[in-house]
Amino acid sequence: MTSVATASLRKDRGGQRPFDRVLVANRGEIAVRIIRACREMGIATVAVYSDADVDAPHVRLADRAIRLGPPAAVDSYLRGDLIVEAALSTGAEAIHPGYGFLAERASFARATEDAGLVFVGPSSTTIELLGDKVAARRTAVAAGIPILPGTLEPFAVDAPDAVEAILVAAERIGYPLLVKAAAGGGGRGMRRVMTADDLPAALIAGADEAAAAFGDGAVYLEREIHPARHIEVQLLGDVEGSVVALGERDCSLQRRHQKLLEEAPAPLLTEAERRDLHETAVKAAMAVGLVNAATAEFLFDTSRRFWFLEINTRLQVEHGVTELVHDIDIVREQLWIAAGYPCSERVLDAAAQAARPKRHAIEVRLSAEDPARGFAPTPGTIGRWDLPHGPGIRVDTAVASASRIVPDYDPLIAKLMVVDESRDAAIDRLARALDETTIGGIQTTLPFHRFIVADPAFRVADLSVDWVDRHWAAIATERRLEALDIAARAAGAAVADVGSGASPTPLVGGSAATGKDIVGGPAVASAWSRVGRARAIDRWPR
Amino acid sequence: MTRRFRVVPSAALVPGDEPRDIDLDAVDPSGAGIGREPMVFVGPVRPSAAGGRATVEVVVDGWRFELDVEDHARAELRRRATREPDATAASGPTEIRAIIPGRIAAIRVAPGDVVEAGQGLLVVEAMKMQNELRAPVSGTVERVAVEEGQTIDNGDILVVVR
Repeated sequence: MTSVATASLRKDRGGQRPFDRVLVANRGEIAVRIIRACREMGIATVAVYSDADVDAPHVRLADRAIRLGPPAAVDSYLRGDLIVEAALSTGAEAIHPGYGFLAERASFARATEDAGLVFVGPSSTTIELLGDKVAARRTAVAAGIPILPGTLEPFAVDAPDAVEAILVAAERIGYPLLVKAAAGGGGRGMRRVMTADDLPAALIAGADEAAAAFGDGAVYLEREIHPARHIEVQLLGDVEGSVVALGERDCSLQRRHQKLLEEAPAPLLTEAERRDLHETAVKAAMAVGLVNAATAEFLFDTSRRFWFLEINTRLQVEHGVTELVHDIDIVREQLWIAAGYPCSERVLDAAAQAARPKRHAIEVRLSAEDPARGFAPTPGTIGRWDLPHGPGIRVDTAVASASRIVPDYDPLIAKLMVVDESRDAAIDRLARALDETTIGGIQTTLPFHRFIVADPAFRVADLSVDWVDRHWAAIATERRLEALDIAARAAGAAVADVGSGASPTPLVGGSAATGKDIVGGPAVASAWSRVGRARAIDRWPR
Repeated sequence: MTRRFRVVPSAALVPGDEPRDIDLDAVDPSGAGIGREPMVFVGPVRPSAAGGRATVEVVVDGWRFELDVEDHARAELRRRATREPDATAASGPTEIRAIIPGRIAAIRVAPGDVVEAGQGLLVVEAMKMQNELRAPVSGTVERVAVEEGQTIDNGDILVVVR
């Protein structure tokens, strides 16, 4: 009997492991996250790295590390041929791609499979089908799932007469609309178009960016609805054909379609709406024969309708909030599923309860970006690095003080997650966690998160995917100027302290002894004592 | 010991990054009583590279500043010693510099081109995003200082418009 065999397999997992050795084809926090899961399961790990990452944490934590090439991703983390070779030469049985880089390249998944290795993720066939966002839209239509009005065929912008055909299609869809990359997601190649006049420029920019990011400049059009929330469903499928939904996440706080904050569950949904959404997502996944982990993305409009956007065939950046709410290790499950095991009892139980979540989790993405300059990248060297600890906190990072943030890769430097019994409690916990966070050396997105966590609109979950693009710039300018006034005074006070010899804190090690023109100063004063001092300066003019 | 300073943000990347005169003996107009407690981190006081007395990194509510601190009296003296205070030539060439490090993905203008303020000059690719750099002023392109594919750093001159 199949059911008996299945049950015994599940029971026997305690004494087994899905693989003996796994290669992790990524870098940064996600490589570390996957290596951690492997170590806990007794699986040996192989890291790969570029010349920019020789001393990176993922290299140090893995059992073995193989150099790929120069820093540029095309010469290193995108070299699928070298990665498969590294797996074969080190005796790895499987490759976990993480997110980004090769995670959703069907050609890489196929090369892995053809080499007799296991790709930890959906099959190359599923990735290929869903990687073509336009084909995914057609599949959804066939499965009876509501999609946004738009084109069902991709456009090659450079083709003769393409612009005329696109303009006609755009008139039919209506403005505002989005130009999107047929080959990708994550906001790359995406442009918002308000009128027909703006369409040609948006097509060129979108196609160029898509070509740079995915090696394919084909684009399609989709109606933009706003205000709308971005809600996505975590899916797990096994080789026996069962697919389950592990609840949903709300990722509405985005700028230019790059997520800044995610939470699970999505606030203000009824149990019936959750159930309906999860069922729709599972139906979409079944239609493409999903095995392993994926995420179905939807827009939720003001009349409480869900519109299917796409299915991402990878472990998402924000998978941690789902893990915290449902007490599941998704990477661990991925590895079991990849080895041919069915979904665990634990996953099935969590899925059965997913419409009635008992906890709430929030993640903020701390990135090397300047929130006062349109989130422009801010590569550099990390200085002060104080991250929060204590109850209900999880930090996924591969960065520490003195780490260099290079411009070659994604600007994400840490994911700060909190979990608590309710959304209100989770927000309070996040506020506390952000109070404990200090990052020096480079500008990060921290000011944005500090604003949001205290914002009354966020507290009542008044969320929309275009909120940041519409409102944040003005808020950022004002907040930053206030901060500069305070900072200027604190800087003056610090210099006056040093000059008068009144510094209550130790001088910089060695600087006083050199006798050179170094003024010295507090090296490791805690943020808290500094706050106390800044306040004292404010209140008692001397 | 003086308690009046001129504090100059070291990289004026954002409008409003103007020097501030600070008097520690005066009541802080911005600080007390605003009802919100800022989180402040003050780094070590370091020797200044910009000619002031010292440089300090300060992070307030996550906003990070590198601040050059100079005694107010000396800052005044220096300002007077400069031959034409504050009279930067209004009709001179405008140097457009990189405000993000990255790679030049595309160049849309050539020397001699007439450009209007807001017109795209080149595209910088950084951290996988394409960022269009626009002309801050109208004029004629005098020089394009970079090539396609070139890697650039913060502050590099990219285009000169006159």
